[in-house]
Amino acid sequence: MILFENVTKFYPPNTNALDNFSLEIKPGEFLSVVGQSGTGKTTMVKLLIGEEKATKGKILVGDWDITNVRPREIPYLRRQIGVIFQDFKLLPAKTLFENVAFAMQVCGHIPSKINLVVPQVLKLVGLEKKIWRYPNEVSGGEQQRAVIARALVHHPKILLADEPTGNLDSINAADIINLLEKINKFGTTVILVTHNKEIVNSLRRRVVTIDAGRVISDQKIGKYIL
Amino acid sequence: MILLSIARVLKFALQDFGRNFWVSLVTVTILVLSLFSVNFLVVVDYISQQAIKSVEEKIDLSLYLNADAAEEDISALKRELESIAGVVEVSYVSKAQALESFQSKNRDNQSLQEALREVGKNPLNPSLVVQAKELADYETVINSLDKLSKHAVIESKNFDDHRNLLQSMNTITARTRQIMLLVSFIFIAVTVLVVFNAVRIAIYTHRKEIGVMKLVGASNWFIRAPFLAEAILYSFLGVIAVTAIFYPFIHLLQPYLGSFLNTASVDLVGYFNGHFIIIFGVEFLGASLINIIASSIAVGKYVKV
Repeated sequence: MILFENVTKFYPPNTNALDNFSLEIKPGEFLSVVGQSGTGKTTMVKLLIGEEKATKGKILVGDWDITNVRPREIPYLRRQIGVIFQDFKLLPAKTLFENVAFAMQVCGHIPSKINLVVPQVLKLVGLEKKIWRYPNEVSGGEQQRAVIARALVHHPKILLADEPTGNLDSINAADIINLLEKINKFGTTVILVTHNKEIVNSLRRRVVTIDAGRVISDQKIGKYIL
Repeated sequence: MILLSIARVLKFALQDFGRNFWVSLVTVTILVLSLFSVNFLVVVDYISQQAIKSVEEKIDLSLYLNADAAEEDISALKRELESIAGVVEVSYVSKAQALESFQSKNRDNQSLQEALREVGKNPLNPSLVVQAKELADYETVINSLDKLSKHAVIESKNFDDHRNLLQSMNTITARTRQIMLLVSFIFIAVTVLVVFNAVRIAIYTHRKEIGVMKLVGASNWFIRAPFLAEAILYSFLGVIAVTAIFYPFIHLLQPYLGSFLNTASVDLVGYFNGHFIIIFGVEFLGASLINIIASSIAVGKYVKV
């Protein structure tokens, strides 16, 4: 479970990116978070991965109160939350295999386990034939698949996707959403932050709409209402 | 687990060095140029020390003795002179040796040679030549020599000219050392800044990579360590390269220096061989330290998120 309880994030001089924001996400949910630019969606993501700290309120991830997470605990938090970004954030000097393996290496996994798991997750996302390619040698959709594979190697309970289709054409975007749904079926909570109206409407899942740092709409089977 | 982490850190450092070859090459090149400058400074310092030393060796103080001075009196005086603090050598120059030296020095001066022939006998007196250990010791030695009045064998001793010359020389050498110190300081400060900046630029190119490392849950240590290992690798390669470049350079320089300073005692290659560990070892440690500090600061800036 993820819980935001009356969270406020203030940026000087006078901006409340989140303003008394409350949201509860149950384990295994597939949730779309929508809202116009500057409404606080990315701030929510940053708070969840410990990139920013809340000015007020409380944030729980499972039983873990991450409101004032200590810097040395952040790596452990990030190993539990898989994150996917619009700009992929792959290491350009590493192959797709190495990019995915890197996420396991930083956790101290032994080489034999890495060599076993990495090809499996790359196969799961359909990249088994391109594991030794560098990011600039594959398409945007394939790069995003590699990012999803990287996020999955930790077996995260939560997968946070911040505009994962923003740089992709509609076919690749649909593929990525299908992949996210598939991952959700295995029990992983998926939080999809997006602007894409078609995707949100086609999902027929819970939709939370944010405006001015507050939740203005929370529909169980929702639509893009902005 | 620790060994596995260390092995991975080294692997990432080497991988990064190879895959960002041009950035690595530029950083090592800047390091090599900086170390070359530092070594050149060592050469300049060595030359100036040798120049001062060669002048020092040419200064001696002569006590002219009576022509009929007894050998035992001369020996007693020699022993007394040798016991003066700061004296490194006292040598006896006989009448014949003095004449021989005078004739050889003035071989081309016909009028002097003619005058000597007219005198018909050796007009020069024997002498004791005193050499001090260092330039700074001459003042003390002259003061001690001035007090030597009881010896009847001494005919003359006037060191006023020497005193003035030595004072000028002391001033010049002290200034030279001050200037060298100042130049060294400026040079090293510039070198530190250049290397510091080069490393920071190299790490700036990795800022996105550091962000990704943080994102996938790498600890700060795991992010920093490959950069620190790479910093040491830069320093190691830099010192190896500068050694390979600098030795041929000083081999070429050596013959010109000898003739320029008019002394055979200049042995630049020997000096570098004799001080190899201290010169290149200190350069490696210094470069590593600068690189590590620069890397730590630069990486630290990007690992905050």
